[in-house]
Amino acid sequence: MTPGARRILSAFLVAAVSLGILFPSAAGGGRDVAAELRRERGRLLEMKKREEKTARELTEALWKEKRSKGRVDELQEGLKRQRRLLSRIDRKISALSDRLDRVEKAVRELGAAHGRARSELRRAEFVAFSGQRAGALDLWHPSDRERERHFMRVYLAADAEGVARITRAREKKEEELTGIERQVAVTEKKRTREKKVGDTLLSRQEAERARLSGIEREKKRKEKELKSLRAKIARMESVVSRVERQVKERERRARKEAAGKSARGSAEAPRRFASLSGGLSAPLAGKVVTRFGRQHDTTFDVTIENRGVEIEAFSGASVKSVGHGEVAFAGAVSGFGNVLIVQHGGGLFSVYGRMESFLVKQGEVVKKGTVVGRLPESPSGKSVLYLELRAGGTAIDPTSVIPLDR
Amino acid sequence: MSERPSLWWIDWRLSPGPLVRETIGRFLLFCLLGFALLTLLLSGGVSRILADRYAITAVLRAEVPSGEGEGLARKAAALPPVRSATYRDPETAWKEFLRSYPGLDPLRGAGENPLPGYIEIRIRPDRLTVEDVEFVVSALRAVSQVDQVLAGEEWLPRLLSAGRLASWACWGIFGAFLAGFFLFARLQERARAVALAGDFAFLAERGVSAGRLAFLRAAGAALSGFLLAALGAAAGGGALFLSLRKFPILERVIGSPADLLLPRTIASAALFSIGVALLCSATSLLGWSAARAGRK
Repeated sequence: MTPGARRILSAFLVAAVSLGILFPSAAGGGRDVAAELRRERGRLLEMKKREEKTARELTEALWKEKRSKGRVDELQEGLKRQRRLLSRIDRKISALSDRLDRVEKAVRELGAAHGRARSELRRAEFVAFSGQRAGALDLWHPSDRERERHFMRVYLAADAEGVARITRAREKKEEELTGIERQVAVTEKKRTREKKVGDTLLSRQEAERARLSGIEREKKRKEKELKSLRAKIARMESVVSRVERQVKERERRARKEAAGKSARGSAEAPRRFASLSGGLSAPLAGKVVTRFGRQHDTTFDVTIENRGVEIEAFSGASVKSVGHGEVAFAGAVSGFGNVLIVQHGGGLFSVYGRMESFLVKQGEVVKKGTVVGRLPESPSGKSVLYLELRAGGTAIDPTSVIPLDR
Repeated sequence: MSERPSLWWIDWRLSPGPLVRETIGRFLLFCLLGFALLTLLLSGGVSRILADRYAITAVLRAEVPSGEGEGLARKAAALPPVRSATYRDPETAWKEFLRSYPGLDPLRGAGENPLPGYIEIRIRPDRLTVEDVEFVVSALRAVSQVDQVLAGEEWLPRLLSAGRLASWACWGIFGAFLAGFFLFARLQERARAVALAGDFAFLAERGVSAGRLAFLRAAGAALSGFLLAALGAAAGGGALFLSLRKFPILERVIGSPADLLLPRTIASAALFSIGVALLCSATSLLGWSAARAGRK
């Protein structure tokens, strides 16, 4: 249950319980009012059930939305990673293509150079052969011819070495070319594979977005419904408040009449918790974990208004009455578990929610510090008590009147 | 004695006209032979030609710098049989090579020069023998900077044999000319002796012995032959000197003009003159004896 729903339930609960308490004393005042109160109470209960159900559905929708958003975010992250990977692969393919072009150009150039070198070698051989034939009959310069023949051998050897060097370089480049082509093929395959993965992720993301859109539509519908219900409850509360005022007016008049008859000298009942006789004490030793008033819920990113506080204490701890009073209500309330309401008189009430068991009964008078119940057991060893104080129908911050550990 | 005619120059007195023509002819011949002799002496036959044609090539390693190559050339030039040693750097070798094979020039284009530098070693003409060449080659092969030595070992012995044969042929021709001169001069002497037989008989009747007459005629012929040969050799030497000065290219084949004044050259010319004098004297005696035999 969301804090908003809790807030509504709390208001409704207090109003309903107050009316339930006040109803018997007003019964003598007018049966029409009691009937109206019963009717309104029934309608309120019904509306409360619907509101609770809607709130639960909304919560569920919110969880679904959160999960779906999480999945969308995950998919988006996955897609980003995939895009980065594809981009890297594209860059690699581009670099490989550039390298491939360069190597192909080099191979072509080496091929042309090889052809030129071979042609030059053949022509040089022809020139050498012609020169050899011409020089064979030249007996006048035998030493010169001998030297020229030697140098021609050196020249041809250098040319042949040049051809061999170009051949080796071309073979090496061709090997490199083959390697790059193989690399390009592998990278292309990888790219295709990753593209498929990316497409799958994209389709999953689109499906998830569609699902999220459905959830958001559902959430909006539920929020609208909840808003409408809350408006109805507010109107109902105003009706109940009006009836309550009428009851109080009647009670005041009854007290005046009783005072006139019995010339009562008793003092006026307290209207503020600070003026409560005997003062107030903490219901148990613990730490306030949920504060009173407007609080921002980071989970759902909403601002909610708490009518009470939640005190974390050891599991099974005893809950004591904060002051002298009479048990006005002890029973289960949806969203709050077992709830005990103590009427302190003068329109002052203290509400204890999320209890495991009661040690007092409805109508029983309790003193300050009287153990009224226990907190439930929990595997973690910690349980939470809901404490709300109301004065004249208005919720007040319990920490302002009771010393609580915050 | 003064009243008696001199028998030394009896032929000149008895027949001056023909003898002048004969002397002019012999002088011209001796000029020619002197020229040939000096040429052969200076050139050593064909040795100088062969020495000019033959060269040992010491191909240096590619990494040898020019300065080192020049130093090696200087060291090679200091070897006793070596006449000259010239270092050619790779660039020069490349240019020479392209001149020899002009078809290669456009083929190589921007390609670098593959040829190394080399040292061209020429041997002295008088030391151009297989032994001296092997001495130089082994000295060069011992140098680490020398990659290869091209000394024409395959054809050098044949070349030297051919050179020797050519030299012998030259000297043979020279000798043949001398022999021809001898035979021709003998015939001339005989003919003259026959023509002057009456005069010689008259002298014999007057108490001049035939032997004395023949001896004195031979001595006169020798003297005139010596003088003619010496003059001819001098004239030939002069002509050779002028030729060498005018055509320096001949120096590569024949030799330096200064060599003409070497003692050995002069001594050879003197020997030539003496030899000619002996030949003239012999032809005179042989002609005399042939004329007398024919008359009897």
